[in-house]
Amino acid sequence: MENVATHEDWRSCFSELAPGLLLFARQWVRSRADAEDIVQEAFVKFWRRNHKIDNRGLLYATVRSIALDRIRRDSRRTRREAEAVSELEQVVEPQFELVDETQFALAAAVQRLPHEQREVLVMKIWNELTFAEIAYAMGISQNTAASRYRYALAALKRMFQPQ
Amino acid sequence: MNEFSEIENELKKLRPAQGSRQLFVRIEQRLVGPEISEHKIIRPNRFRVNWVAIGFGLAAAALFIVLAQISIRQLPDTPKQGDSIAQISSAPETRPVLTGPGGAISSSEFVPAGATQVVYNTRDEGLQFPGGSEQPLRRLRYQTHQTWQWRNPVTGASLRVSYPSDEIVLIPISGQ
Repeated sequence: MENVATHEDWRSCFSELAPGLLLFARQWVRSRADAEDIVQEAFVKFWRRNHKIDNRGLLYATVRSIALDRIRRDSRRTRREAEAVSELEQVVEPQFELVDETQFALAAAVQRLPHEQREVLVMKIWNELTFAEIAYAMGISQNTAASRYRYALAALKRMFQPQ
Repeated sequence: MNEFSEIENELKKLRPAQGSRQLFVRIEQRLVGPEISEHKIIRPNRFRVNWVAIGFGLAAAALFIVLAQISIRQLPDTPKQGDSIAQISSAPETRPVLTGPGGAISSSEFVPAGATQVVYNTRDEGLQFPGGSEQPLRRLRYQTHQTWQWRNPVTGASLRVSYPSDEIVLIPISGQ
């Protein structure tokens, strides 16, 4: 990924970061609209405080914090949504732009991962964060972040490429 | 090349869904518009009148006035028996003033004429195990209004003292 710290205006920064940020936010909410609300709030907060845009650990920590606050605030609504979604899982808006059956199967396998592994995977693969940045965003050690990443890959390998 | 490079490459081929155009518009509006920070927001909750609390307060005040009137009405010499909310003892329990020598009553001496104890509230405060005892005790709190009355039989003058009091009674509980 290009070093986003060189960009001066928020549009360029956000254009690069938006898909990965939205995917990250989608790990807590079911709809794309809710994920966009979270990302909007986090990015505006981050940008207004004049944080350096290359401090990605802080940006993702902000997204995470806002998502968790939102879950606590709307726990009842979220539970209702989760129940509705569990019944109609196939109509949930896709998190990826899928082009073939193989990608569909892989995306489904990612969704079956434990949440803490999926968080690390999303930040590492689709946001290209380092383990140090992931550790900062999640409030865990780098070793834990790296372990979760390896567990996620191993689980996917088992699920997607059964031997 | 590690053991997971193949699956990593497959994962990287997945493209996350793009954000809507509306998202960019909303962020632009927020960044261009005036910042509303937390400390500038006047939260209406802080100024909202808590009608429930006021209602409870007024109800408690009204109840207090009613109970106070009941206790005042119970003070005469011949209290009603069997009152459902009050326990009344008309017999004097003490003799705070003694008569003069030889049993003669002078015009300056008063004799006890009555004592009234109105229990206007009884509260069960639960079980206790005082001093590490194994037998539980039920703690009851009686809120009473006591009135003592003296009368001078010679002059007919009377003296009355009223005061509120709290009485705590511990009742041993025995298991069945």
